[in-house]
Amino acid sequence: MAGNCCCEIQISFDRMQAVGRRSMGHAKECGIILPMILQKPTAIFEGLRSDEDEDRWGYGWRCYCGIPEQSFRPDGSSARPYPGQVYLVFVNDEKVTYNWRWEKADPDDPRLPVDHETRFKQRLL
Amino acid sequence: MSPMSNRDFAERMMLLARPAEQFEPTAIYDPDGDCIEFLAKPDSFYAERVDDLVTVYYSQETQEVIGSLIKGVRGFSQKILKAMPGCQIEIRDGRVRLVHIFRARLWTSKAAPERSIALTYEKLIKVAEDSQVETEMCSA
Repeated sequence: MAGNCCCEIQISFDRMQAVGRRSMGHAKECGIILPMILQKPTAIFEGLRSDEDEDRWGYGWRCYCGIPEQSFRPDGSSARPYPGQVYLVFVNDEKVTYNWRWEKADPDDPRLPVDHETRFKQRLL
Repeated sequence: MSPMSNRDFAERMMLLARPAEQFEPTAIYDPDGDCIEFLAKPDSFYAERVDDLVTVYYSQETQEVIGSLIKGVRGFSQKILKAMPGCQIEIRDGRVRLVHIFRARLWTSKAAPERSIALTYEKLIKVAEDSQVETEMCSA
């Protein structure tokens, strides 16, 4: 995946295969929404907090946020984005994306996930 | 490895896509995130963090629990096997039933979980039992 300016994000082929096997909708989320969020995020957070393993989930692990132009049903048909939700893409410290999903948005700022103040160590964008 | 255009990436993903009718429940360990992702239905979902270990997935269509993400798997495996060495017998050929991971989390909690968290775990355990899924259990 080519980034907008200077950052190249990778995804494993195993992960692409696993997601593709779920449904057309999941494949389109990965194939269409994922690059859009990575290239045009509304916010980027760094340092995913976790009491279980603080070092591993510390600096370098990023969360890209955004509101996609569409959502996808299991059959692959498109619909409006889910109201009150934001899309998050997680990237590890080796710049490999490993998880992406919808989450509830902060009612005060729908471009950000709920609890963003406490979940991350710092905001980069 | 050369970067892929958005169009090429989307086309590659669609070549890998299968109809939802062919979906089978899965629980897959991802070394890039050191996490296990469990999905019991092909629905689109939204996620909610339950605790430091588990994020639960709810169906966008039905609001039912349909999966989860288990984070920090290496550390959790080591902690569980140290606290409950007998768990080792549930690991066969490096694989373990997902339901045991959820139960192990509850049984090794330092304090009784809040009612809402316990309820979410109960739902996850039920979905994992119904799905009969196994996953890789790394102890390294």
